[in-house]
Amino acid sequence: MRIKKIGLERDDGWTLVEAILSMIIMSVMILGLTIVLLAFREHLDRSLAVRTMDQYGNNVIERLTHKLRNAVDVVVRNGPGATNKIDIEFLDPLTLDFTTWEYWRADGNSIKVNNRRIDDYFPPLRLKRGEAYRIMKFTMTPYGVDTPNDFEGADRFQRSDSFIDATWDIRFTIRYERTNLSSDTQSWFYEKEYYNRVYMRNMNLIVRQGITE
Amino acid sequence: MKRLKHKLMQDDGGIDFVQLIVGIMIISIATLGTFQSLFYGYDQLDYQMRYRKALSIARGQVEYWQGRIHTDFPNAANMNGNLGSPRVFSLENRDPTTSRDDIECEVAYSKIEAIPNPENPADIDHWDIRVIVTWYEPGKSEDEGDAPNTIELYAPMVPATL
Repeated sequence: MRIKKIGLERDDGWTLVEAILSMIIMSVMILGLTIVLLAFREHLDRSLAVRTMDQYGNNVIERLTHKLRNAVDVVVRNGPGATNKIDIEFLDPLTLDFTTWEYWRADGNSIKVNNRRIDDYFPPLRLKRGEAYRIMKFTMTPYGVDTPNDFEGADRFQRSDSFIDATWDIRFTIRYERTNLSSDTQSWFYEKEYYNRVYMRNMNLIVRQGITE
Repeated sequence: MKRLKHKLMQDDGGIDFVQLIVGIMIISIATLGTFQSLFYGYDQLDYQMRYRKALSIARGQVEYWQGRIHTDFPNAANMNGNLGSPRVFSLENRDPTTSRDDIECEVAYSKIEAIPNPENPADIDHWDIRVIVTWYEPGKSEDEGDAPNTIELYAPMVPATL
């Protein structure tokens, strides 16, 4: 009987201090989880943007390099902004008695070859609001003209004409921008340059002299 | 056992100080681990970018020497390579307001070797080019005894027939 009385007197509920403490802990946990999740989402978004840029940047650079390696001549002209128009001449591989041309240029936010975009999926079709990819630079300059290294700038004047005419530096810069349009997104931009040097072997081969002279 | 049973019967369902501390520690460790993995991810993105740039520089140098051998043949001093005195190239300008955190890489090439024609050893079949790019990641240095990141590229080339 005595035990039952004690049992009835037991108070199994929470005290005010316990309730407040547990609320504080839960709030801190939820806040921390939210911050971590937002940071992860931001990281994923940035990573996706950089991978998209990498894919397109490397695609353009590798394709242009491949074309130039097989070309017999190139004409570089000024395009809009910091871009060049690149006209590439190829020798017909079967008959070897005529040449064909390919015309590369930056148009808006994509690179076009003979007026066709080289990748229909850049810029990506489903961009979020406020997102944009921009081509900041698409240039092809002779060796030593556009270089951050002093040695190459000086070395250029010691090289033969045949070397300078055939050696080109390709620079392609893409910028990703995200404008803060809603409270759950951050403004962010990222600019990346893709670079390659190409020596046009066919310009200094006997096969080209046979055609052009 | 009897004492433990008695103690459990007396439990009024709240959390004690030890449980609170353990809970906080678990949450802290989980949060720390998550943030560390996040920063590691960012660092890896930066590293990948530098690696790709270093690869571009190495490819550019290989292309340069291929062009030189093809049409603007290097003199004897150039053919010996510059492993002892590599050139310094800019790899990354991190903060545009200062040059103190810029990352540079050293670009060297080994002796350009003539490879004889296997059918007629008196003739040269081609020339071997080997370019080496090395750099240190932020926070690492030669003085600390860290190993540099290295990219080594090899390419053969023949002189033009003109």
